[in-house]
Amino acid sequence: MALVEIRDVHKKFGRTDVLNGVSLDVEEGEIVTIIGRSGSGKSTLLRCINALETVDAGEIHVEGQRVHARMPDLRQFRQRVGIVFQAFNLFSHLKVERNITLAPLLTGRIGKSEARPLALDVLARVGLADKIDAWPEQLSGGQQQRVAIARCLAMAPHLMLFDEVTSALDPELVGEVLKVMEAMARQGMTMILVTHEMGFARNVADRIVFMHQGRVWEQGPPSKLFVRPETPELASFIASVK
Amino acid sequence: MRSFSFIDFVSLLSALRWTVVLVVLALGFGAPLGLGLATGRISRLAPLRWISAAAIQVIQGVPLLGLLFFFYFGMPVFLGIQVPALVAVTVAYTLYTAAFLGEIWRGGLEAVKQAQWEAGACLGLSRWQQFRHIVGPQALRLSLPPTVGFLVQLVKGTSLASIIGFVELARAGQVVSAATFQPLLTYAVVAAIYFATCLPLTLWSRSLEARLDGSR
Repeated sequence: MALVEIRDVHKKFGRTDVLNGVSLDVEEGEIVTIIGRSGSGKSTLLRCINALETVDAGEIHVEGQRVHARMPDLRQFRQRVGIVFQAFNLFSHLKVERNITLAPLLTGRIGKSEARPLALDVLARVGLADKIDAWPEQLSGGQQQRVAIARCLAMAPHLMLFDEVTSALDPELVGEVLKVMEAMARQGMTMILVTHEMGFARNVADRIVFMHQGRVWEQGPPSKLFVRPETPELASFIASVK
Repeated sequence: MRSFSFIDFVSLLSALRWTVVLVVLALGFGAPLGLGLATGRISRLAPLRWISAAAIQVIQGVPLLGLLFFFYFGMPVFLGIQVPALVAVTVAYTLYTAAFLGEIWRGGLEAVKQAQWEAGACLGLSRWQQFRHIVGPQALRLSLPPTVGFLVQLVKGTSLASIIGFVELARAGQVVSAATFQPLLTYAVVAAIYFATCLPLTLWSRSLEARLDGSR
């Protein structure tokens, strides 16, 4: 059984069909990258996977559990599925340590004495252990995004979702964030990413999913998809981002 | 007839304590109620939003004087209960404070980005935990300057309680003025005392604004 099973999902915003019958499976340990033009439904699909958006039709299962906004253990579910956003969304009134330990403490995952060691551990994994006592505003965009990733890691998620996490960064800061994500991929984390970083998609992803008009238009390993696209839509997309 | 003396000044100053008592009571009861209205205004439950919005509209739309008259003169007529002046003014100022603070704090809560709630939700926090630990503290920071600003309004607003005979600073001024026949001097002193009370609050509000300009 796949870790994530998406079956014929439909979603409208107002009268606009954003998702138009999406089906997709993601296996445990797999790195899946979703690419496509803006408005193709990539981010919406990601947000549906952890019930930030509710689907109008179709079903999403994660670890065999049906996902929807009114599921009884939504909060426990969200602790197992981390999501990192384009805009970091750090808590600006809290220092880095507290940003990371707030949720583990409040949800009873850890006790008070374990908080700082946990923060140090996950910060070390994103290369920012020395920033544990900093305020978010004192960090660069790339560092803030790495703290946001560390904040997710502190919940020990089974699945990580990345929603265009490098799109808001200055070009010279993109690399440090991608490096952290590559390391996570090597450690076997299951990851679904929406990204415009084609180099990253090519080198790290196990599978590329090209979305177009709210559907999975074409998918496959990067070696095939980037070299021999089958549909003219993908061919023109690849040509446009080169 | 006697002229305005130091004793009169002391009696005005001592009446100031009732002004302070009124402010403290209004805040003590009005602030929690205001917090309830503010959270009601941003609730996910539509009826709660409507009730809170309506309550704020009504209270803000009625002159403070009307509230005072209603609870002091109106309650005996409509409900047959004679309420002591202190109770009537406390209820009136509590509602007044709750409505205004409720609206200020709602603004503060809405000024915090929706994504902050979302980030909390994605970490498995409950709506209450998101409010208590993430959005509330940031909203408080944003709301502090206008909240202190309202405090100045409240201090001056307590002078209206004199109309129903509650002896606070303004009412004490009337008494001294009647005894000395020096209304100009008396009310000038009263005004100076209000000013001296409000000035530190105003300065505090300004310094808060400078310090918490929302950059963090």
